[in-house]
Amino acid sequence: MFEKSDEQLIEKALKGQKKAWFSLLKRYEKPVYHYGLRMTGNNADALDLMQDVFISVFRNLSSYRNEGSFKGWLFRIAHYRCIEFYRRKRPQQGLDDAPEIPCTAQPAEQLIENTQRNAQLVSAMQQLPLAQKSVVELKFFGHFTFEEIAQQTGMSVNTAKSRLYGALAKLKTLMEVDYVEL
Amino acid sequence: MSSYDNAELLALWLEDNLTPEQRTIFEQRCVQDDDFAQQVEAASTIKLHADGYQDFDVPQWDRGKTFDCQERGSSQERANSQERVNSQERVDSRNPFEYSARRQRWAWLPSVSFAMSALAIVLVLTGTQVSLTSGELRIRFGHEQSQLAMSKLIDSKLDTFKQNQQEAFSLYAQTLQQQQLESASQLTNYLLTSSRKERREDFAELIKFVNQQRSDDQLFYARQLNQLQQDVYLDANGIKVDGTQQ
Repeated sequence: MFEKSDEQLIEKALKGQKKAWFSLLKRYEKPVYHYGLRMTGNNADALDLMQDVFISVFRNLSSYRNEGSFKGWLFRIAHYRCIEFYRRKRPQQGLDDAPEIPCTAQPAEQLIENTQRNAQLVSAMQQLPLAQKSVVELKFFGHFTFEEIAQQTGMSVNTAKSRLYGALAKLKTLMEVDYVEL
Repeated sequence: MSSYDNAELLALWLEDNLTPEQRTIFEQRCVQDDDFAQQVEAASTIKLHADGYQDFDVPQWDRGKTFDCQERGSSQERANSQERVNSQERVDSRNPFEYSARRQRWAWLPSVSFAMSALAIVLVLTGTQVSLTSGELRIRFGHEQSQLAMSKLIDSKLDTFKQNQQEAFSLYAQTLQQQQLESASQLTNYLLTSSRKERREDFAELIKFVNQQRSDDQLFYARQLNQLQQDVYLDANGIKVDGTQQ
């Protein structure tokens, strides 16, 4: 009924209240987990990424200055943690390179049980380069504006737009292929 | 050819920020440019897929680890927090829990204090009365006393007043009676004393008068006797009889 705002929870978490931190965490763990799931393509990596993100968020919580939404700030951290995650896992791969190593862990599609379309989209996204995948994720699933995406990813607004444009063409092809295979 | 490129137009369309002019260009581009039309279709499809994406719950994971990691906080990671503005903030941001652990011990005190103050204010404003009578605890809200309590209070006050008045009246009557008795006694004594004195004075006056009359009578009789004696011893010429002259 009287749900505390993000700012109140942050303030309390900074004072050392574990409960407030867990409330904040529970509020955002689902979007972050699904972000990780769509960005990494498998459950284990999504959980690892989510944990990395929240550790990083808490470590930098006192530097959050209430400028912009907390969600935007959180996903900016999530984006950089995701890049770090890919660098650790695939050090030779650039942001704009298409993924070369196929996922060996449990595929995310198996976990997403609602429809085949979920699985189809996530599967297609896994074949995009990280930079394009980030923009698609933040635009279509995070519902951020291009300016916010640019702030979160550190690219220009025009770059974000052109990366989305490029990603759409690839996704359309990939999803058509998946549809034919299905 | 317009100045808007396809990526720009698509972005504006996705954010629903197209002006009427841009919308016209957008629609023309959709008709004339097949590639662009396919891109728009792909964007619509993906948007549809994304909107239809159903989240499922997060699998169980160790949330406490994010908390524990902060408490351990390696010194290297602390050194990386260069964006802090002042030293106090730097200390805080290195490890918020470390900074707050000292304060956490007494963190409940202001809240409890505030809550108690608020409770006290509420109790005063609502006129809460707590009474414990013969093992019965009563909590009453509101400044007005209940009708029953009011009538009881009035009755008891009236009884006390009545009792006081009765005592005062009886004391007054008793005093008055005693005063009357004393007055009557004094009056009686006065009357008795005064009448006795008057009678004594009257008798004294009478006796004095009688004594005076007797004295006057004796003097009169003495003169009469002297006169008679002189008459007896003188003759008719006034010569003294011999025997008498001797």
